[in-house]
Amino acid sequence: MALSIEDLKLAILEKATKSPKPQLYIKDFYECDADAKPRVVKNAANDLVKEGKLMFWSSGSTTMYALKSRIKNEEGAEGVN
Amino acid sequence: MAKHETPLLDQLESGPWPSFVTDMKHQAETKPEVWDILGQLELSYTDKITHWKHGGIVGVFGYGGGIVGRYSDLPKRFPGVEHFHTVRVAQPSSKYYSTKHLRDIMNLWEKYGSGMTNFHGSTGDIILLGTRTENLEPLFWDLTHDLGQDLGGSGSNLRTPANCIGQSRCEWSCYDTEECCYFLTQKYQDEIHRPAFPYKFKFKFSGCANDCVAAIARSDIAVIGTWRDNIRIDQAAVKEYVAGNYPANGGAHSGRDWGKFDLQKEVIGLCPTGCMWMEGGQLKIDDKECTRCMHCINVMPRALRPGVDTGATICVGAKAPILDGAQFATLIVPFMKVSKDNEFEELVNFIETVWDWWMEVGKNRERVGETMQRVGLPTFIKVMGIEPIPQHVKEPRSNPYVFWQDEEVPGGFERDVVEFRKKHAA
Repeated sequence: MALSIEDLKLAILEKATKSPKPQLYIKDFYECDADAKPRVVKNAANDLVKEGKLMFWSSGSTTMYALKSRIKNEEGAEGVN
Repeated sequence: MAKHETPLLDQLESGPWPSFVTDMKHQAETKPEVWDILGQLELSYTDKITHWKHGGIVGVFGYGGGIVGRYSDLPKRFPGVEHFHTVRVAQPSSKYYSTKHLRDIMNLWEKYGSGMTNFHGSTGDIILLGTRTENLEPLFWDLTHDLGQDLGGSGSNLRTPANCIGQSRCEWSCYDTEECCYFLTQKYQDEIHRPAFPYKFKFKFSGCANDCVAAIARSDIAVIGTWRDNIRIDQAAVKEYVAGNYPANGGAHSGRDWGKFDLQKEVIGLCPTGCMWMEGGQLKIDDKECTRCMHCINVMPRALRPGVDTGATICVGAKAPILDGAQFATLIVPFMKVSKDNEFEELVNFIETVWDWWMEVGKNRERVGETMQRVGLPTFIKVMGIEPIPQHVKEPRSNPYVFWQDEEVPGGFERDVVEFRKKHAA
């Protein structure tokens, strides 16, 4: 039986916190609730972004999700100058 | 005065064609940061690597697409391109703009960005190249509130749907591509502005097989206008073409003398299915053999027209050559009625069936065409609930094996081993 939306959001946050990979594809969250439809998982993850608990990271062609504390931020990162 | 020496780029100005280098130098007169693009590009030519860092967390509030983060990996040397984000602005249907609107967009971009643009990107968006993070929200506010224009898609989103000029100006358009594109753009706002899929997903809508938006080559779902009755023939006009009184191709190639129009060579002989012939001074078409390629109609537009029972062919799975090379879309539904009268119900059902399957089965960064290729067309059409037809067959089988599903075999594949052993001792 599928989790409630709130429980699914908690499971997504737990996955984003504990996963060895700091940034995750939407499909990585599907395992948070094997009974939930992919669209339900997508909507829950996007709600967490709206709530400021997750952030998007986009290469331009693909989008990933991460906690703000774990996300790769190019801004201010120094290059080989 | 040039901020950086650019001898390699300068060579690109020496040819007879217009040069982006010249344009950028011109732009640098009012936007000095453009010198840093030239300087960094010159260095990339020397180093033979890019100095752009691609991607990031930049965006506007509530959106998960439309902005592509870009940074220089040499920000101290090229401070003008320390941040150089791309903004994708959704184009209006068929790319109709008023001159005033274009000027307003350019004024906005001069205010908040580098002034550099790409009209248009391959998805059709207006691409505004180069701005800083702190300019994104003010730019977005002005764009949406003052100009009434939205951002397009990027990342794992539905990309900005694109359509040809359609029935607004083209008599060949077999359905209202603008209405269809607009309707689906409004319906799928969430999918355009927030990531939804394993990878990018594109719709394109062409009114006929001339496919002016290259739907069959560049979109995951290509909706291409067609008809299922007969090509309409005006035999009197055919005679005028043969007599040389009407210019072939609407006069499109009249800049050079190609000689007298030759119906046999230029139309009948080029028909891909050989379904046309002349008989008793009349042009005949075996319409059941016609593939609706549009060639004969293009050559003799005053004599031939698409039929009147119109709709669209749906092809799935095209992509550009990032992985495994470029791929054309595969025909899935030969004919579908596409109408606003039922809110494009059949097309919407088709799209959402594809999405539901691909979101579950598609791997990360795998276009739907690649997923189809991986699982095979028979599996895909079964998922879609579509009966196989000869047009789905790419080529005749080259091996003798026929694969049957369990339910297609009387009694299935489960055997009573005891019964079997009565006849076939171990």
